Amino acid sequence: MNWLPLVILLFPAVGGALLAGRGWRWPRPLTVIIGPGVVWLSFFAVLYGYWTDVNVDQTYWTWIRAGSFVLPVNLLLDHLSLFMCLVITGVGGLIVTYAVGYMEHESDASYARFFCYMDVFVFSMLLLVLAGNFVFLIVGWALVGLSSYLLIGFYYWRPAAVVAARKAFVMNVIGDVGMILGTFVVFLQFHATTYGNFGWVPKSDSGYLELAAFLFLVGAVAKSAQLPLHTWLPDAMEGPTPVSALIHAATMVTAGVYLVGRLHPIYDVAAVAHHTVAIVGAVTALFAATIAIVQVDIKRVLAYSTMSQIGYMFLAVGMGAYAAGFFHLLSHAFFKALLFMSAGNVIHAMDDEQDMRRYGGLWGQLRWTSPSFLIGSLALVGVFPLVGFFSKEFVLGAVFSKPDDPVSIWVWVVGFVTAVLTGFYTGRMWWVAFWGRPSETRPVEQPHEAPGVMLIPVLILALLSTAGGLVQTSALGFGTTLVEDYLKPVLGALAWPPSPIELIVTIATFAFGVLAFLGAYLMYVPRSERRAAFLDGVAEVAMAQPRPWSEQFPRLQALLEHKYYFDELYDFVFIRPLNWIASWGDRRIDRTVIDGSLTGVAALIEDGGAGLGALENGYFRSYVLVFVGGAIVAGLIVLWRAFT
Amino acid sequence: MISAIFLAAALIALGGAVGIVLFRNPIASVLSLVMVMLALSVLFLLLSAQFIFAVQVIVYAGAVMVLFLFVIALLGPIRELPTRRLPRQGFLAVIVAGGFAVLLVSMLGNLRYHAPANADLSVFGSVQNIAFGLFTTYLYPFELTSLLLLVAAVGAIYLSRERRS
Amino acid sequence: MALDAGTLQIGGESIESSWFLILAALLFSIGSVGILVRRNPLVILVCIELMLNAVNLTLVTFSRQLQNLDGQLFALMSLTVAAAEAVVGLGILVDIFKLRELEDVDDLSELKG
Repeated sequence: MNWLPLVILLFPAVGGALLAGRGWRWPRPLTVIIGPGVVWLSFFAVLYGYWTDVNVDQTYWTWIRAGSFVLPVNLLLDHLSLFMCLVITGVGGLIVTYAVGYMEHESDASYARFFCYMDVFVFSMLLLVLAGNFVFLIVGWALVGLSSYLLIGFYYWRPAAVVAARKAFVMNVIGDVGMILGTFVVFLQFHATTYGNFGWVPKSDSGYLELAAFLFLVGAVAKSAQLPLHTWLPDAMEGPTPVSALIHAATMVTAGVYLVGRLHPIYDVAAVAHHTVAIVGAVTALFAATIAIVQVDIKRVLAYSTMSQIGYMFLAVGMGAYAAGFFHLLSHAFFKALLFMSAGNVIHAMDDEQDMRRYGGLWGQLRWTSPSFLIGSLALVGVFPLVGFFSKEFVLGAVFSKPDDPVSIWVWVVGFVTAVLTGFYTGRMWWVAFWGRPSETRPVEQPHEAPGVMLIPVLILALLSTAGGLVQTSALGFGTTLVEDYLKPVLGALAWPPSPIELIVTIATFAFGVLAFLGAYLMYVPRSERRAAFLDGVAEVAMAQPRPWSEQFPRLQALLEHKYYFDELYDFVFIRPLNWIASWGDRRIDRTVIDGSLTGVAALIEDGGAGLGALENGYFRSYVLVFVGGAIVAGLIVLWRAFT
Repeated sequence: MISAIFLAAALIALGGAVGIVLFRNPIASVLSLVMVMLALSVLFLLLSAQFIFAVQVIVYAGAVMVLFLFVIALLGPIRELPTRRLPRQGFLAVIVAGGFAVLLVSMLGNLRYHAPANADLSVFGSVQNIAFGLFTTYLYPFELTSLLLLVAAVGAIYLSRERRS
Repeated sequence: MALDAGTLQIGGESIESSWFLILAALLFSIGSVGILVRRNPLVILVCIELMLNAVNLTLVTFSRQLQNLDGQLFALMSLTVAAAEAVVGLGILVDIFKLRELEDVDDLSELKG
């Protein structure tokens, strides 16, 4: 009996339980030790599993035995789930440690509540990836959604936060329904409750297999905020920044990618659903990148960026390049968490101001955070030799090289264009926030750097973002393939060789991305504030100071600012009819029928009682009257019975 | 001649009864009751209930009614003033009691009996016969009745005790 | 055995027993009207006595008709009880009179509701 999977799960569970039960009464140092501590303990357990090369599908107990339906409680700790656990506990540990400093202003009870929720989240996410059967996958899935709700709505006295939390939860539930229905199909048609090495997947495609694959895709789309169930992610930025870093960048939103990876035997056969995964990913990537260009809240830029990068991951796993998708997951976890936490430092320094236009000129003033943010941004753009370059190019290269697939070239084009746009919006974010002259409306004149506990995780992630690419340098056509090799037992090897011109494509993507990054400088840093004169010279030749796009293309600007009016569309199609039905139901059914019948019964009894009460008026004479009347009736009855 | 006696007694009884209900003055009502009782005692005599006849006159008309008169004398004149409470009471009372009367009359007027044994009924209700029944078959009720009278006497004494206010 | 209407042979003449019974019924009804209508408590007691007398008449009539002395004995008991009841009733009445100026039995309406 291998206890390691259970131990990995148990640490954060115990932490969350303790904090929930007693944490609000503890001294703060105890919360500081236990909250992040259990996550790190879990991380060490995972490391132990890595060093001992654990690979086990351990059944602890059989929960349900009902005829042909047998549900064991089993945890699957193979290379894929261990990989995910490394990300969750490692990056998660760094973020939770960072949060010790970020959430410092909270009261003791609120502080404990935060870490309790974070521990519950880590536990749920671990359960999701460690589950060995569909039911516990769904349990973890749902618990992750719950944790997300609790954490987005952490500042529950803010109406915007509550609305955002509810929106996230409702959309997640839509995904949950897809997951549950998919599980039903799998059980009914293929008689499987556990993964069981997926031997039960038929060799040829069938309607039911496609159906199951699509239903699971609904779940993945909702959890990973892909089109069309994406509208909750930007609103989720109402939560504290560590929450955005952990849940909405590094882990929860990657659950959809994990799902497709774990269920890849299904998707390998169900070709239509498989291509749909890639198309959804590609479209979302482009879509989100366009919206990111017009965002002014620094966290929202990062949120749309996350949406876009997950689109890349979906694109990869949708095309069958599983290892590439997961490597990008790892690298994105590094640099996106880095970006969010650095942004958190900036927000902290700027007195909780999140509008980038009110920053400006932070480069010289935040000595540690600024370079970290730069590293994260460059990794996001995919600049060599940072980890983002290797992972993004691995994805794009594999997609480009895939033979015999009519969809692949189109999604590659979308991916390429998105990479250019990524460079552009990232550049915009960097130049506007950190370069140029400080804005007149800046809330803090002399921002102070973040304290140690908030800096060290950031620096660690900066290091990982810089050096992380060295584990999988296959984008260059040679070198290490540690990630791919490690995941090969579960995900299989890449089924096609790289195309001869893949390297050229890689370099082209890199080049255009960097150009876009620099181009943003020209667009967004006004001439009077530009610091490098030679770039000015180039600009004089290349173009005049352009007018802001918001003036040149007002309707396009409005379209992007309103996120393609998706929120308005959903409000019109779903929310309003449902509200109308609900209020109709309240008026006509709840109040009229149900309340009415109950109060009607009560009124009936009351009136009846009052009526009968009128008989007892205290007057002797009326009593006698009734008495005599009764005697007559009794006499008549006796007579009648005697004569019949 | 028996019918004539019956008719006279019946008319007096009915007239007295109506008088009880209709007289405003309570003394008049009590005296009407006395008249009814005397008429009934005659009817008892017709029905060979000699002992009952005597008891009715002596005890009922003689003692109980005198008690009523004493109480009226003690309490002084009482007048019934017109009232607004229970406005429809009189009307309903006549209806209900009228229905009651109809019921009773229709029941009692249509009874059928077995043929009687035709014994000599001249001493049917004599003191000896009453005594036989009272002291043999009905001894127990007799004793209980005397107990009841004792209780009534105790009650009357208790009710009329001196109250310290 | 055939059933026939009750005829009493009194003093050589025949008379229907139903006449006595109908008279008693009428007296009883008149007494009940009196209880329902009169508001002087004394008069109400008088009407109760009237009703008791009517019942006695019925009992004695049946006794004569059925040639069974039980009816008369029961009437005797009834008479005794009526006397006792009149005593106690009048005692209570006198008490209430001493307590407050009672003229109308409708004033005693505390047991309402």
